[in-house]
Amino acid sequence: MVLNPQNEELRELTVAREREDTTFEAGAAIAQTSLWRDAARRFAHNRAALIALFAFVLMVLYVVIVPFVMPYDPNAVDFSISYVNPTWAHPFGTDEFGRDLFLRTALGGRISIGIGFAGTVAIMVVGILYGAIAGFVGGWLDNAMMRFLDALYGLPYLPFAIITLAIFGTVNFWTMVVALTVASWFTTARVMRGQIISLKENDYVRAARAVGARWYRVLFRHLLPNTLGVVIVFVFLELPGVVLGEAFLSFLGLGINPPNASWGSLAQDGYTQYLSHPYIIVIPSVAIAWLILSAFFIADGLRDALDPRTQAAA
Amino acid sequence: MTALLEVEDLRTYFSSRRGDVHAVDGVSFAVERGKTLGIVGESGCGKSVTALSIMGLLAQNARIVSGAVRFEDRDLTRLSDRELEDIRGRQIAMIFQDPMTSLNPTLTIGLQLTETMRRHLDLSRDEARKRAIELLEEVHIPNARSRLDDYPHRYSGGMRQRVMIAIALSCNPKLLIADEPTTALDVTVQAGILDLLEELRDQHDMSMIIITHDMGVVAESADDIAVMYAGQIVEHTNAEELFDHPEHPYTEALLGALPQLEDETVRQGRLTAIPGRPPDLVDLPDSCRFAPRCPYANRNDGCTARTPELRELRPGHLVRTAHPASERQGAPSMAEATR
Amino acid sequence: MLKFVVRRVLWTIPIILLVIFMTFWMMRAIKGSPFRRTERAVPAAVMANLDRKFGLDKPWYVQYGKYVKDVATFDLGPSLVLRNQNVNDIVKQHFPVSAELGGFAMLLAIVVGVPLGILSALRANRVTDYIAMLFANLGFAIPSFLVATLLIYEFAAQLRWFPTNGWDTASSKVLPVIALSLGPLTYFARIVRGQMLETLQQDYVRTAKAKGLRWKRVVVVHVLRNSLIPAVTAAGPLLGFLVTGSFIIENIFSIPGIGRYYVTSVSGRDYSTVMGITVLLSILIIVANMIVDILYGFLDPRTRDART
Repeated sequence: MVLNPQNEELRELTVAREREDTTFEAGAAIAQTSLWRDAARRFAHNRAALIALFAFVLMVLYVVIVPFVMPYDPNAVDFSISYVNPTWAHPFGTDEFGRDLFLRTALGGRISIGIGFAGTVAIMVVGILYGAIAGFVGGWLDNAMMRFLDALYGLPYLPFAIITLAIFGTVNFWTMVVALTVASWFTTARVMRGQIISLKENDYVRAARAVGARWYRVLFRHLLPNTLGVVIVFVFLELPGVVLGEAFLSFLGLGINPPNASWGSLAQDGYTQYLSHPYIIVIPSVAIAWLILSAFFIADGLRDALDPRTQAAA
Repeated sequence: MTALLEVEDLRTYFSSRRGDVHAVDGVSFAVERGKTLGIVGESGCGKSVTALSIMGLLAQNARIVSGAVRFEDRDLTRLSDRELEDIRGRQIAMIFQDPMTSLNPTLTIGLQLTETMRRHLDLSRDEARKRAIELLEEVHIPNARSRLDDYPHRYSGGMRQRVMIAIALSCNPKLLIADEPTTALDVTVQAGILDLLEELRDQHDMSMIIITHDMGVVAESADDIAVMYAGQIVEHTNAEELFDHPEHPYTEALLGALPQLEDETVRQGRLTAIPGRPPDLVDLPDSCRFAPRCPYANRNDGCTARTPELRELRPGHLVRTAHPASERQGAPSMAEATR
Repeated sequence: MLKFVVRRVLWTIPIILLVIFMTFWMMRAIKGSPFRRTERAVPAAVMANLDRKFGLDKPWYVQYGKYVKDVATFDLGPSLVLRNQNVNDIVKQHFPVSAELGGFAMLLAIVVGVPLGILSALRANRVTDYIAMLFANLGFAIPSFLVATLLIYEFAAQLRWFPTNGWDTASSKVLPVIALSLGPLTYFARIVRGQMLETLQQDYVRTAKAKGLRWKRVVVVHVLRNSLIPAVTAAGPLLGFLVTGSFIIENIFSIPGIGRYYVTSVSGRDYSTVMGITVLLSILIIVANMIVDILYGFLDPRTRDART
């Protein structure tokens, strides 16, 4: 899911890392740890990224903890308290059925963020496999695999997600994850392939091959571990797309069904009431925006932290 | 007659997260009409920043803190952007280190050549084109006429640097600044570019500043040479004097790192690499900036306590050290000291 | 160059076939014949009849071959649900609406987003830049359904400047176009800003300044051109954006476009329509990518030469 143009900048990161790596050929293990420690230090100096990290953790804590401490039943219907405006007892108010929205938004967040992370992991796995195969094998196979990706650049994931759900015939957490992965891994695959290709040119990989290391050793020992930085950045770049995808599907009524809630289905509930109670759609939408923005700035900070060159410019 | 360009106590700092980087820290020199000044030093010593300060082309996070750049009695640091634009390319031209990236890849050579002339000389399109062909011939590009409409990627590195020179010369500037003009080029074409620069300087009656880390580049072409270290000039005199009687240990080391020139007495086989690194330009020590790498520095003579002034050791020979070669008696030679 | 164009065009054919194939298999994977899923009991004879009518009794490769042939002749087959309606008719009826909506949104996104990105880059790290990028970040993070709903709430329900839904009068088109354009708009602003900032760092821009060119000329001739060429490649994902966005926007504003109809078709199990529209959208993206690639080749002299 290409949600922002910054994805493209990851290519640059490759270049910078290559440069780092070559200086550390002798003591690879030491170089790795210091590389990560440096990155952590740089990240800690990036105010926007730290705020984003804080906001992200806060959101995760909210969805994890609140359902344990709120004294309400998330699905109990009580029309006597429907559409209560926000108060101390109900910080986000209640919906048509008198259900507490502070609690339901947290529960919806569990599903939305859960699908977001599971979907992101699935996208990464498929993308890394595809990219690693194309990049590692090279030749005509790489050429064909990349032509395929080039042609599908920007293919909208939504129709394919909808069809996938129709194939399953049922909507639940895992079918949503699959649906949101089916047509969303293209960018990841492309970037991973670029990473593998550029790493393959590195002297230490050439050296490993020259001394007769087996292909799987080269791939798993030398190539994939060195893509870790990019993978971590990408997790935070993909997450917003998956969360938004889930929200869109649920908003269209094709995703998570009542009585379960996700941020998308909560937004849809709110949409039906927007004339009389506009805040109901605002709450889950702001939660989505909160998560997307914090994930995005974390990714941004991570990229800067892992790329010493941008540091110099800042 | 006053000099064409006088730089006086120029200080250019970069702001960074850790504080100000004193990239150029009190540099003064003059360039006479028709003469060539060589500025020599390691990368990061402030030589390029000096050039960019003169041109008013500093990056956004850099600023000229104090000092003056007098060009024909106008202080360039006080001019508005528009006034500077009138001088750049017209009075002072500059060529850069990497010809592969210095030309716009999406525009033809012809356009990039003529736009300067049309900007400054009020030429018509046809006149500018005619002049562009002449210029390309002048910098020895074969088939100039047909190559005018080519894009830069069709030119080799050396050819592109020739194009850069042609662009720089197109408006007959009074001063040409060449920042590492041969560093990015093949060894085989370097000499050609240097010869061309010298030839054109004479033809066009220009002054020139050549910036380099390589003494060999300025050995033949420069009249005066300034050696820079950590944002300051450490030795400044005419070329002959500098090569024959280097005074600053850093200059000696640079010359030591220079391969043997023809008809020169063998320099006792020293090919001295200089141990250590230049100081941190953010947090400058209250000492001679070269002291940590200097074989002659010691506690007793204040090398570690204060920065030495640039002093005139002999008429026309400025040096910034407590231990110039001619004052060292019985002191260990560089070679011994590093042993 | 001609060879490159021909090769690029030829490459799209197997890819379109592959995408049709994938879509085809996905549709087949929706278990069994679509008719068996309806609640009404359909007599076996009728069922067989229907299967025959839609060619569902043939082996899959025959069906696939026929489908590809039909697509190649711009025939997406009959609708499985609407009697006497072809998918072609449905597309003809709904696609122009979506195209108009998407076209206007794209136009607005370019007209506002590109200058916003340029301005932001030229004022990098100053107040203008911060405000523009705050806007761009919010536009990227806030889900379009909230933007659309708030627009309706404020300008349709409260102020009554525009109708709340529909797609007939000019004023009914204002809000949906704005709501749909916000995503692509911020995308443009960000990508143009990023490209501009990168170009401004290039050595040749320093050369242009060293030549004493007026700043305006440096920006227009040396910076803008080289920044906007890469931005062209964003066309693929932008189309994708518009498609995804139109699903939501058309639903909220009850616009009779292809996105809304798609959701209806899925719910109504009109699989031939779903498949037809999916194939159509995919081909649209693939062809757009092809055009962009070729255009890019022409715009950049380096590739123009390399691809002779």
